[in-house]
Amino acid sequence: MSTFDNISFKRPKTGIGSARLAGAGLLILLGGFSIVGPVVIPSDPAAQDFGASLAPIGGDYLLGADHYGRSLVARLAHGARLSFAMAFLTMLAAALPGVLLGLLAAWKGGWTERLLEFVATVVLALPGLMLVLLLLAFAPGNYGPLFLGLALTLWVEFYRVTKTTTRTVLAQPHIEAARMLGFGSRYIFVHYVLPVIGPMIATLSAFAMATAIIAVSTLSAISVGLQPPTPELGSMIVELLPYYAEAPMHVLLPATLIFLLVLGLQLLAQGDRA
Amino acid sequence: MNIQVPSDVSVSGLSIHSAEGAIVSDVTLALGRGQPLTLLGESGSGKSLVAQAIMGNLPPELRATGRVLFKEADLLKETPGQRRRRWGRSISLLPQEPWLALDPTMRVAPQVAEVHRYVKGRAAAESAMAAKKNLSEVALSTAEGLYPFQISGGMGQRAAIAMAHATDAELLIADEPTKGLDAALRDSVTARLRQEVERGRLLLTITHDVAVARALGGTIGVMRDGRLVEYGPSERLLTAPEHPYTKTLLAAEPSQWERHPGMTSDKPVVAGCGLEKRYGDKVLFSGLDITVAAGEIVSIAGASGCGKTTVGNILLGLTNPDAGSVERKAGLSSSRFQKLYQDPPAAFAPSQTIRRGLRDLTRLHGKEWTDVERLLDRLRLPGALLDRLPGQISGGELQRFALLRALLLDPAFLFADEMTSRLDPVSQKEVITFLLEIVSERRVAVLMVTHDRDLADRVSTRVVELGHAFTC
Repeated sequence: MSTFDNISFKRPKTGIGSARLAGAGLLILLGGFSIVGPVVIPSDPAAQDFGASLAPIGGDYLLGADHYGRSLVARLAHGARLSFAMAFLTMLAAALPGVLLGLLAAWKGGWTERLLEFVATVVLALPGLMLVLLLLAFAPGNYGPLFLGLALTLWVEFYRVTKTTTRTVLAQPHIEAARMLGFGSRYIFVHYVLPVIGPMIATLSAFAMATAIIAVSTLSAISVGLQPPTPELGSMIVELLPYYAEAPMHVLLPATLIFLLVLGLQLLAQGDRA
Repeated sequence: MNIQVPSDVSVSGLSIHSAEGAIVSDVTLALGRGQPLTLLGESGSGKSLVAQAIMGNLPPELRATGRVLFKEADLLKETPGQRRRRWGRSISLLPQEPWLALDPTMRVAPQVAEVHRYVKGRAAAESAMAAKKNLSEVALSTAEGLYPFQISGGMGQRAAIAMAHATDAELLIADEPTKGLDAALRDSVTARLRQEVERGRLLLTITHDVAVARALGGTIGVMRDGRLVEYGPSERLLTAPEHPYTKTLLAAEPSQWERHPGMTSDKPVVAGCGLEKRYGDKVLFSGLDITVAAGEIVSIAGASGCGKTTVGNILLGLTNPDAGSVERKAGLSSSRFQKLYQDPPAAFAPSQTIRRGLRDLTRLHGKEWTDVERLLDRLRLPGALLDRLPGQISGGELQRFALLRALLLDPAFLFADEMTSRLDPVSQKEVITFLLEIVSERRVAVLMVTHDRDLADRVSTRVVELGHAFTC
């Protein structure tokens, strides 16, 4: 009834807009750091200089150096680039099959859907970490199995959301009307389905990237992901942890970078969801 | 307009302003015991705003001036807190489409009991007893343990009335209480409201259905563009209306229409033979023969849920029958079989402007944009509407766009599925008039589904009564 619909309080749109803006800004800054940083910063992230072991922040080294005397600013920039790249690849590898299979299941229904649904359930029942560890066992320290393993656990979410939303859209009368007017599946997909599922997939992608960043760091931290001396944010934390008493800021730097990366992605996703 | 009624609620000089100016101006009316008031008008006429001003739930950006006296108290002078305290105590609202307003996760009886328990502050056991009594008063004892999705629209409306009983509020405001109900359910709801009046409750009803106003009696106010254009006792107003708009409104009632003469029929465009459809082990219909020939309108009548729409969908090939066959006249392409939907906004993609949709359609079928322009003139649709989204156009206009869209494809058969049931009477008459003209101009075969028996009788060549397979 109009009476009560009218007084449904308008959500403060500005709050959501500014959160999203902050997220985008943060990601642009971090993205700039990870793309431009490795090019501009002259020092090699793996070059050791034992004379500068645990050099303080602000001296010869802009953000100090670790226990091997490696430049932290260089290692952070390379680490951020790696995290971004891994997260992006993982997200793509999860989103592409997830969305395509979701569309397929919604469009075809019947046996196709039942089969896909069964596979998705099986994958969900497997512990994600196990899957990654299993694949890593074949080729330890490689990027390939790491991101493949993550993508294998993350695609289900894309698949489920795409399938459910697409099916709701397809069941609406205006789709039936469009079919009767002679529009083909391609037109219906581009003009009627995509505008609805597009924003949702964008949101999910941001969440998936955040998940991937945390997962990669966590796996490196327990020494099963990428191997040293690769500058990876998670393994940097672990390597510096024994020196926490002497150089606490050094440990916190990679941790802060992970935090900011994930925060930026989450804020961006929040805005999309509204 | 000087009529003496015992006035327990009297509104004088009520105006409602938004930032842009007055939306409702200078409304004066009164209702009393045994004298219910019904506000008639199309959507956007301001009738709901008047009710909201009395209830006290106007949107915050709107401001009401004037006087609303309820038992000697001027409601407009009260603070929002004081007004809120009246809700569910001295003023109660029957929401539009109550089956949507009920809590879907809660059985009916506990929902009624909540009023006793939390509004009246009674003990749990006592509340449950009182709720049972309220439900039996509206003959709903059988539905106590059911969830809202298990009950019909009419039962949902009765549950809302039971809640109003529980509040024991003196003033009952019913906002479009019969929206979405078929004729039989509509009559049972109005009869129930009439009983409320006889029990001494004050009743204010908002509706666009003249039949509801007639059944309720009392006083009728006709609203248009934020003004009360006519106001008086129902017997006088309905038999001898003075204002031209009231006359239009009354003439738009299907029962007042002229009978549309039946056409001589050609060969059938589409024919269903021995059709049967079942859902689970429930047989909707079986052995149904139906033919529709060019230039004739065939109506299917029957209570809601009896498979009327299914028959049409089977003829269109959208649903497969469990038995029987459908034959179409040879040589017709499938795009010449079109459907017109009950809820016009649902039949258009919400994010696409009308222009875009029509342009893509003309391209797809190799038509010219001038065809669209010709039809716009024919259906008297202003071109300015083309750049709006479906949600920004009134139901009547959107339904005419749906007709336009179908006509672009030179239809041989149209299935009109309750195409006017959500429109006010004046828009309904407009849309149906266009449909009739087009049927005779272009010799289109039309299958019409409607729950309005008067409408079916007036416009159709034949009416097919669908069996009473089960009652609803």
